[in-house]
Amino acid sequence: MDEQQIRAELREWILAHAKSKPSGELTDQTAILETGLLSSLDIVEFVLFIEELRGDEVDTDDIEPEVFTSIDTLWEGFFGQAAG
Amino acid sequence: METASQLAVRLTKQSRDQFWNVYTEFDWPDSLDADRYAMTPELISIHGTELWESLDEPTRKRLSLYEVGNFFSLTLQGERPLVAGLSDRLYSKRLTHEGTEYIHHFIDEENKHMIMFGLFLQKYLGKVYPEKKIALDRTYAKGEEEVAFFCKVMVVEELGDYYNVKMMLDDAIEPIVKQINWVHHRDESRHLGFGRRHLTELTEQWMPTWSDETRAGFSDWLGQYIKSSWNDFYNPTMYKDAGLEDPYQVRKMALAHPLTAEHRARASKKLVNIFLRLGLLLEAPVL
Repeated sequence: MDEQQIRAELREWILAHAKSKPSGELTDQTAILETGLLSSLDIVEFVLFIEELRGDEVDTDDIEPEVFTSIDTLWEGFFGQAAG
Repeated sequence: METASQLAVRLTKQSRDQFWNVYTEFDWPDSLDADRYAMTPELISIHGTELWESLDEPTRKRLSLYEVGNFFSLTLQGERPLVAGLSDRLYSKRLTHEGTEYIHHFIDEENKHMIMFGLFLQKYLGKVYPEKKIALDRTYAKGEEEVAFFCKVMVVEELGDYYNVKMMLDDAIEPIVKQINWVHHRDESRHLGFGRRHLTELTEQWMPTWSDETRAGFSDWLGQYIKSSWNDFYNPTMYKDAGLEDPYQVRKMALAHPLTAEHRARASKKLVNIFLRLGLLLEAPVL
């Protein structure tokens, strides 16, 4: 799965689980938690979805909450070159 | 009716009378018997599903070890913030003097449970399953955080106790697992009694000051919290460790299966009824 497909999958999951509709388009820079699209209780499900996409487990001890800021930070934190 | 402080005096005496040593309480066998179930089959997360029916007996028994390992792990992981939160309340205005006395025992017993679960997990699984939760800051109405904390305590303890009671009465499972469940239940029955009384008093104190919007928001959060606590019972890593294929699909299948939904509703009934009666839940959540 290439980067664009992964970003699209992340976007689709967020929209499917969003507590409210985003005020505008959901871009890769939209603040996911700050705007209330997802809550802390969604994080476990979201992490498991990310594991499935990565094909590898996520160690949340190594993750800072900031990684959940936007699709850009999710890509960098979980799938980009810096991801462990 | 007995107040939380009066109850705390009685429970403190019981804790002192039953004081136990986690390092001498158990005779740990060198290994577990692969021919026995490590967990009561009816409590296994995929029990009753088509997948369960398709598994042979050795695979079911292997899965039971990882299932009980996941159950002990999520209980241990739930007890960590509980102990942190209780410690934070010692000698503060949030507890009476009698409450503080009892919370010392509550913390001591929870610490011993974490040691007990940790010893089991390291010895027979070689690991503790990590939790995937990440704490995020949120804003609260006055008293809301305090009520939410004791709701979380009750969720981890009531759901765990449902499993403890089933397994402590099951002679067919591994004796060490049966004993751990019994020891846990013995202490938890006191913690649950105190938690219910204390949460009732907190709710009576704070909820009348909340707006309708806060009350609705709290009910929504609490329903989601119970649901997310249940989701932890369906751990893909546990399925993978037991040798099941497509562990993430197993999780989705198990969570969506009507028989497991019935199990969750049955096991949560007491907990949900307490929250409904207190008005903390406005309606029963779909679990």
